[in-house]
Amino acid sequence: MRPTPINFSKVRFALALGLGASLAACTVDAPKSAAVPAVLAGAANVGVPGLEPITRRLTPEQYENVIADVFGPAIILGGRFEPEMRVGGLLAVGSSAVSMTATGMEQYDVMARKIAAQVVDESQRKMMIPCAPAAANAPDDACVAKFMGKVGRLIYRRPLTQTELAAYVTAAHAATEKAGDFHRGLSLSLSAMLSSPKFLFRQETLEPDPRNPGTMRIDAYAKAARLSFFLWNAGPDQALLAAAESGALNTAKGLAGEVDRMLASPRLETGVRAFFTDNFGFDEFALLTKDVVLFPKFSPRVAADAQEQTLKTIVDLLLKNRGDYRDVFTTKKTFMTQELGAVYRVPVINDGPNGAPDAWQPFEFSADDPRGGILTQVAFTSLHSPPGRGSPTLRGKALREVILCQKVPAPPAAVSFNIVQDTHHPIYKTARERLTAHATESMCTGCHKIIDPMGLALENFDGAGAYRTTENGQPINTSGALDGVPFDGAAKLGQVIHDHPATSACLVNRLASYALGQQLPAGDAWLKDSTAFFATNGYRLADLMRRLATSDGFYRLKPPAEAPKAQSASAASAQ
Amino acid sequence: MSVVLTARTHALPFKLAVLATAALTVSVLALPGVAAAETRTFVVGYFGQATHNVQDSECPAGINPDVTVQYLKNLVTLGYSQAEIDKMVNQSADNEGGSVNEIMRMRGRVNGQPTNPYAYPASVTDPKLNAMTGGKYAYGFDLDGKGAESPKAFEDPETHQAGVDNEMARAFGCSRAFRGSVNARSAYWSWAWAQLKDSQPAWVITITGADLAKDGDVTVTFDRALHYLKSNIDGTPRADTTYRIDPDPRSHNVLPGRLKDGVIQITEHGSFRMLQNPMVVNDFKLTNTHMRLNLKPDGTLDGILGGYQLWADIYSGFAHSAPAMEVCITGDIPGLYYLLKRHADAQPDPKTGENSAISTSYTLMAVPAFVVSPDGKLAGGG
Repeated sequence: MRPTPINFSKVRFALALGLGASLAACTVDAPKSAAVPAVLAGAANVGVPGLEPITRRLTPEQYENVIADVFGPAIILGGRFEPEMRVGGLLAVGSSAVSMTATGMEQYDVMARKIAAQVVDESQRKMMIPCAPAAANAPDDACVAKFMGKVGRLIYRRPLTQTELAAYVTAAHAATEKAGDFHRGLSLSLSAMLSSPKFLFRQETLEPDPRNPGTMRIDAYAKAARLSFFLWNAGPDQALLAAAESGALNTAKGLAGEVDRMLASPRLETGVRAFFTDNFGFDEFALLTKDVVLFPKFSPRVAADAQEQTLKTIVDLLLKNRGDYRDVFTTKKTFMTQELGAVYRVPVINDGPNGAPDAWQPFEFSADDPRGGILTQVAFTSLHSPPGRGSPTLRGKALREVILCQKVPAPPAAVSFNIVQDTHHPIYKTARERLTAHATESMCTGCHKIIDPMGLALENFDGAGAYRTTENGQPINTSGALDGVPFDGAAKLGQVIHDHPATSACLVNRLASYALGQQLPAGDAWLKDSTAFFATNGYRLADLMRRLATSDGFYRLKPPAEAPKAQSASAASAQ
Repeated sequence: MSVVLTARTHALPFKLAVLATAALTVSVLALPGVAAAETRTFVVGYFGQATHNVQDSECPAGINPDVTVQYLKNLVTLGYSQAEIDKMVNQSADNEGGSVNEIMRMRGRVNGQPTNPYAYPASVTDPKLNAMTGGKYAYGFDLDGKGAESPKAFEDPETHQAGVDNEMARAFGCSRAFRGSVNARSAYWSWAWAQLKDSQPAWVITITGADLAKDGDVTVTFDRALHYLKSNIDGTPRADTTYRIDPDPRSHNVLPGRLKDGVIQITEHGSFRMLQNPMVVNDFKLTNTHMRLNLKPDGTLDGILGGYQLWADIYSGFAHSAPAMEVCITGDIPGLYYLLKRHADAQPDPKTGENSAISTSYTLMAVPAFVVSPDGKLAGGG
């Protein structure tokens, strides 16, 4: 007998209306009814300017990580994510500026249905669902409540309110009656939860700050989420939610304890990788193409391995060896696959069977090798190059903006790039010669002066990152200067960047902006303090992350321009 | 005697920290025969018959027909009337070859019974395919030492050496699938290489000499690797990849030679053996081996390998892939059997007097590669 078709869309729509938070108003239905609209937040809780309370859309990786944490890594998502937006150089900052299109919502809906169907599937349900219904074809509200309450805590990153839970139970009940199938009904309710803005968006709930009466702070669950997405790029685990629930997270000792636990976890690597992936713009590899005639070695596999090489280099240096962040620009140690070895022209043997995935192997360039540091790795040099050539300008611009946090203006609209792009120019054989000719145009001179010398230092690496010493038969000159400090070659440039004061300050700025989802104001005292801490503590990334995550500045809020006192007081009294 | 490694593009100052199963270091590699100080290593990126077919006048009797025509001739040979043939052809048109194909797949006759013509090619009446009688050029070497006096000999189009023995070029030179040149590869050998390169362990070449930039004695070593050839995204062979040599001694050939003006000629003409692939030749063997290799300025290598090869081995590759390959690529396979048999020019059978081997030449190109010997020593780059 075929099951009765259900008009799930109507039920789901009703659920969305009933349960979905109003993002426009930024109000949420918090468990202890203590929440108030973020715009009603009180004064900053530290002696530095506060920050805007924001709502961020989950990134695709965060969505995947949460689903894997709740239901296991075998769950297939089966949908497409909304495009992300880079703001201030970071997708994490852009995540607070993006909304959701109707098409995007459809895709989230598709994924939610597919995930829910896998969870309740006969082959999985015993493992996924902590109870069995009294009858397979009849509602079982108690079982639904048990399951939805359990997973809802992880999906919403806080306990469900009674209202929320009741709505999900009611929806599952109605759907089960209509379908005559408990698990189909449960699936409907779960897919509604996975489509909820409360899951898809990280909304930070505010509550009165008892330490500063009359002001607001983000509540402990929002604090837990901020921590977990910063350190692990995933939602809070049960222990962190428990610390939020108990109030421990609102104490200095409790907060430090949780931060230390998270920093000691292997999941920290996931968080660090997520930050550097965003910071280096590795998402742009998805659109990167190379001319196969000019760069036949540059395969999709090379592109993937190149990203992984840089991330492995960073993780190994900064986390496993607790090294100095600045050394990522000079280190000779990295990792290789056979696929990458062909591009680097170094031997890498793969003794696995034919067709087996490339095994990663530690590799160290010799002290006098022209390669050293992540700027000389294929990921950086190939990503910041057009399809058919290298580009000192793009590489120099990326160095200025990504590594030193110095904004480079966009090129003027009417400028001609003909000479620069003509790699077979009869007169200007090398990129340096072409850029010199190009920069004689007055409108180009200024910018090229600050970006080209750094980019030209990397000219020993072609558009796909392979080493070369000549271009069109002419020797390549890699000398230059960065802010008055001379260098010759990529390795020396790496040392100059290592020693440049903006390098570490930029990392602190980027990391804080990434964690908070917003660009921090110039001259921010908390940033300065954090940068000084970073310098005096050996430029160790994990120590910096701890410093940020345990400081008041990490959770500060900007006071509203015109705080409606009556409402604030009302909200506070509710607490 | 020790060998100092050099690199093709830039010095390879590296330290390989940990390898899964072997700790490799840049180190000396002892090879016999030559007081060597330089080693260059390559992986073979193409290997196939060296053909040089440039005009149809090489075949005064005409290019052999493709199977759609040859099969009709075969039906006549089998005794079918024209009316029967027409009927079958009409039916076959609606049935993707239908009954014609079925008859062709059993067109051999043993005691009047239909027989597999590929496994038993002698059971088929010789279709008398045309061989190349008008051509002057073919790649190869003067294998029989008779020089220009050899009446059937070719002239090598590259070296212009006279007296070149290459009867395989003559035998297949008028079959369309085998016609081609070094730069415009024939359909069969292109197909064959496409199958081989991704399904058989790669061949690696090690060249050692005192100074490979100067004339002098060298040693050329051919080995088989444990892994398949790696390819670039456009299908071309991938340079600078690392291969480990298979310790199986059957595919280990050490060939003394001499480098002159960038060209290596081997100086001893013994046997050559490399395990290959049943799709082409299961066990590639040559006697009276000759070879010339060009060390090219871009770091790659190409050349010609020639010698006498058992023609039954060559035929076995065709038979293994029949009948699909007969229809799609080679044309009449028993016809190729008879061509090989007719043109065999060496190693007469003591009993029958029939030659069992045919003079051949193959072209190869190779790109720089790192090679790890069975004992873990590394040689690097072309």
